[in-house]
Amino acid sequence: MSINRAVRWRTVTVSVGAVALAAGAAACSSGGGSSSSVAASAPQTIVFAESGLGTEGQQTQLAINAFEKANPNIKVSIQVLSPNSTTYLSSLEHDFISGSSTPDVFESDVTYPAKFAQAGWVLPLTQFSVNTGQFFSTEVAAGTYNGTLYAMPWFDNPEGLFYRTDLIKTPPTSPAQVVSDAEAAMKTDKSLKEGIAFEADKYEGAITAFLTVDSAFGGKLDPSNVNTPGNVAALKWLHDDIYVSKIAPQAVTSWQEGQVQAQFSSGYTPFAIDYPFVEAQTSAPAVQGHIGYIPFPAGPGGTPGSALGGEMLAINAKTAHAAAAYKLIQYLTSPSVETARAIAVGDPPSLPSAYTSALYAKAPYFQNVKALNNYAAPRPVTPNYLQVSSDLQTLFSSVFASGSPGAASAAFAAGAASIKSDAAATPGNS
Amino acid sequence: MALNETTGAEGRPAGAGRPSLVKRLTPPRKPPHRNRHGRPKAIGHARETGDRRLGYMLVAPVVILLLAITAYPLIYNIWNAFHFDNLSYGNLPHNFVGWKNFTTMFDSPQWVSALERTLVFTVVTIVFDVIVGLGLALMMNRPFRGRGFLRASILVPWAMPTVVSAVLWKTMFDPSAGFVDYILGAFHPAWSGLAWLNINTLRAWTAIFIADSWKNIPFVAILLLAGLQVIPNDVYEAARMDGASWWQSFTRVTLPLLKPALSVALIFRTLQALLVFDVIYIMTNGGPGNSTESLSYLSYNTFIINTDFGLGGAMSIILVLLALAVSFIYVRAFRPATS
Repeated sequence: MSINRAVRWRTVTVSVGAVALAAGAAACSSGGGSSSSVAASAPQTIVFAESGLGTEGQQTQLAINAFEKANPNIKVSIQVLSPNSTTYLSSLEHDFISGSSTPDVFESDVTYPAKFAQAGWVLPLTQFSVNTGQFFSTEVAAGTYNGTLYAMPWFDNPEGLFYRTDLIKTPPTSPAQVVSDAEAAMKTDKSLKEGIAFEADKYEGAITAFLTVDSAFGGKLDPSNVNTPGNVAALKWLHDDIYVSKIAPQAVTSWQEGQVQAQFSSGYTPFAIDYPFVEAQTSAPAVQGHIGYIPFPAGPGGTPGSALGGEMLAINAKTAHAAAAYKLIQYLTSPSVETARAIAVGDPPSLPSAYTSALYAKAPYFQNVKALNNYAAPRPVTPNYLQVSSDLQTLFSSVFASGSPGAASAAFAAGAASIKSDAAATPGNS
Repeated sequence: MALNETTGAEGRPAGAGRPSLVKRLTPPRKPPHRNRHGRPKAIGHARETGDRRLGYMLVAPVVILLLAITAYPLIYNIWNAFHFDNLSYGNLPHNFVGWKNFTTMFDSPQWVSALERTLVFTVVTIVFDVIVGLGLALMMNRPFRGRGFLRASILVPWAMPTVVSAVLWKTMFDPSAGFVDYILGAFHPAWSGLAWLNINTLRAWTAIFIADSWKNIPFVAILLLAGLQVIPNDVYEAARMDGASWWQSFTRVTLPLLKPALSVALIFRTLQALLVFDVIYIMTNGGPGNSTESLSYLSYNTFIINTDFGLGGAMSIILVLLALAVSFIYVRAFRPATS
């Protein structure tokens, strides 16, 4: 190879390298946010990030088509992120950390708004004078951080107690009666495999299952002090279902909401703690038409219990299209659109007014869902919720794995301090 | 099958009495032309420099790419480990905190237990995998009908992504739907509903260990089989003539000559076991409690769930150092004796 050719090669190599670096730098900086804002009436395209796949995704697309027809100047580009919540959150966080102005508007789990608000990634909705009174107050609370609303309720998923109306003639009125009814049902119906099914795998669902029974014992999941008699009693009740009354098999420790639903829909259990979607699933003939859905019955000093799940809609703090993004949110959370979504894919509306007779005619169980929404307790609203959740999952998992009768009180006593420091607004490791 | 099945079958080491292949293929290097001042001639010098430059240029894109995707994150991670950087407190300044992230980690009983668990898991799986893998390799090295088919099929678990095999095993250990309890139930009714993954620590580790070994033993076996195949037959014949028993020829001939393959298998497996994550994440999520959390799991939890890049950075640095130390020890221990 001659020197000239070598020099030519070097030029080529260096040029290729420079182009690659420039492209990389451009890619890194393209996320830079724009601060100028575009009026809602101007022609524009907004990006909407959501996790919906299958029929949920199709329903969103239909609603977006109708929105675009009503607002011809606004085009909505849908960005479908992962249905896995951890991956979904990571993708959003990467966009926010890089300062990207897109997605302009996005779907958010009820546990995320506080984290996004603390980091300054979401737009406070105060400028839009939202009428929060039209939504269920429990989900509004989940979208509110330090007194400011950051996310609008889209749909509500209140977790509660399912029971078989053919086996349990009158709904139980106390936790103790749930146990005695389950024992009685197991004696009379030999096709039952257990008395109750709930989510006790080491994952987020274990926390919502706990929250569903928590208020029935007078408990409250406040991370600044989780070691309360109510919380201990609630966790002990779940623990004793496995080890004392044995109405729940040890296998519950590997069950998530899907397995719990399968047990109930197959007719293996008279009781199950789960989300409303159970009602929409195909059930065994013995179960069909015999499904009751109630808040978990209160014990002495408690109130009926339910846990809040669901999805919210929020706006990127860096967007230039805040007005158009809010218009889209308003449209998606309007009563008729929410009712249509509930009928089509079973997502429970976040507006009491969307529970219409048309909806009940299609799916009568929404009457129960609406009633449960009044009891639904949100998970702790803290920017460090994921860390608190991880602590609680470990705590619950250790209790469900222990045969010791004092496991629940010992675990709360041992874990309370670290949960408090993990939830603190000022870091323990700065 | 890419493995060479004929090496050594001629009864003498390949190429005995001939110069090595590298020597045969490399043209003899002429001494550089020198002028009377003893310096190399200018043209030859320029040519060598040109070639060297071309070499550098050819590797430059790869080096730049590697620096961008390996060196940069590594250095950034080291920077993180000495600073406060937590997304949950995104608006706080990233102050320099010295060794604080490291002391927090070493003082944390959760990290220390994870370290102990990881080390025990590593030792147990390696010993087991290498013994069973060696047994399989010895078996596959013998001629028998269907040997080719067996060698191919034994690689199937290794070809499967760990996430897939972990989900597979999680399903198999499921108390209501899995086949493990179904088969155990045939022996004793009380074993038909054993919850494996989230009730009992030992049982959870057993399940993880089985899933991990199922996937990794074939890898060890194939590596060792390759090592066995390059051992020339005449060494065994000589040992036999000297009256060596099977055990003697195994310990005095096979094992010493298998050392290079064994060292590769050990290094790979040890690093994989030290960094074990996916099997645990899928099967137990660290439970029951946190009794199956490994170092990598804890590191993931700190990075991704708690978004604490400072502490997470410190954890991953220690993990990298641990892996480097282990590799270094292996390389030293298996270094061929210099004559």
